[in-house]
Amino acid sequence: MIKPFGLSLVLLKNKKLLDEQAFIQELLDPKTQNKAFQVLLSSYQKPIYNHIRNIVLNHDDADDVLQNTFIKVFQHLKNFKGESKLFSWLYRIATNEAITFLNAKAKRNGMTSEGFQQKQIENLTADSYFEGDQIQLKLQKAIALLPEKQQLVFKMRYFEEIKYEDLSEILGTSVGALKASYHHAVKKIEEYMTRN
Amino acid sequence: MKPFNLENHPKIKPGFTIPEDYFEQFSEKLLSAIPQEEKPVISIFARKKKWFMAVAAILIFGIMIPFLNKNSNENQNLDSASLENYLAYQSTISPEELVSLLDEKDIDAIETDLNLDDATVESALSGNNYLENYITE
Repeated sequence: MIKPFGLSLVLLKNKKLLDEQAFIQELLDPKTQNKAFQVLLSSYQKPIYNHIRNIVLNHDDADDVLQNTFIKVFQHLKNFKGESKLFSWLYRIATNEAITFLNAKAKRNGMTSEGFQQKQIENLTADSYFEGDQIQLKLQKAIALLPEKQQLVFKMRYFEEIKYEDLSEILGTSVGALKASYHHAVKKIEEYMTRN
Repeated sequence: MKPFNLENHPKIKPGFTIPEDYFEQFSEKLLSAIPQEEKPVISIFARKKKWFMAVAAILIFGIMIPFLNKNSNENQNLDSASLENYLAYQSTISPEELVSLLDEKDIDAIETDLNLDDATVESALSGNNYLENYITE
C-alpha cells in the first residue's frame, strides 16, 4: 500500500525523534556511553567547530572552545532532558562557551569585547588559517561592527544556513525577532559593503 | 556606485581554513581527555557514600562503648563521704538498724579504729548512769 506523502513525512519525523531518543539513551547508559559519544563527536564536531570558529575567528581559540564544549556536553549528558533537540542543545552550549571565552579573553587583555573583536579582525590578514579574499575580509569587518545578537543571527543564518525554527530553539528568541535581527544585519552589511 | 546586494551576490564563505587531519586528532585528544575530567566525579566515596556513613556510625558507636560503661560505673560507685553524710542525716534510719547491718568483722574494724583500751572503756562505763540497768537486763 502506498502511503500518502504527508503521512510518510510525519512518520519519518517520528522515526527521527525515536532514533534521537534511543541515541540519547545510549549516551546515558554507562555500557554504551563511550561508543555513543564517539558517534556524537564524529557527527557534530565539524559543524560545531565551524560555528565556534565563526564566533571566535581564530583557529587556536576555536580548538580550545570546541574542547571545552564537548567536555561540558559529556559532563552534562545526564542533565539533558530531551526537551529540546540534541542538535540545538549542542549549539546552545557551544555558543555560550564561545561568547564566554571571547569576553574572558577581552577582559584579560584589558579591552572591551568590541575592541577585542576589531583587533581579531585586523589579525585575520596575518592568520595562516585565513585565506579569505578582499570581499571575504570586508564581510568579516562589516559583521564585526554589528551588535552581538545580530552578529550571531547573521553568521548562523548566512554562513551556517541554520533554519529559523532551530535558531529560535538555540538562541531562545522568537522566529519573528530573529527574522528582524537578520534583516537589520543584512541592511547594515550591505551599506558597509557599498561604502567601502 | 552600485549598491551591494547580499542576496544577488554569489555566496561569500567565511574564508577560514583548518589544519590537515585536525578533526581526527581532535577526536583522539578529546576522548583521552574525558576520562581524566570524569575521575573526580565518580569517586568511590561518592558512589558508596551510604556504606561509608553506615560504617562510620558503627565505628563511632563502638568507640563510645567503653566511655559509656565507665560513666555508668562512676555513677554507681558513690564515694564513702557522701554515703556517710547520707546515712548521718537520714533520720529515718535508726542506730539500731545500722548496728543490725554490721557483722563481726565490721565491729572489730570499728574497735581498731577507736583504739579502745581498758581504762577508756572503764571511764566511759563509770560515767554512764544507766549502766546498772544494762547489766541487770
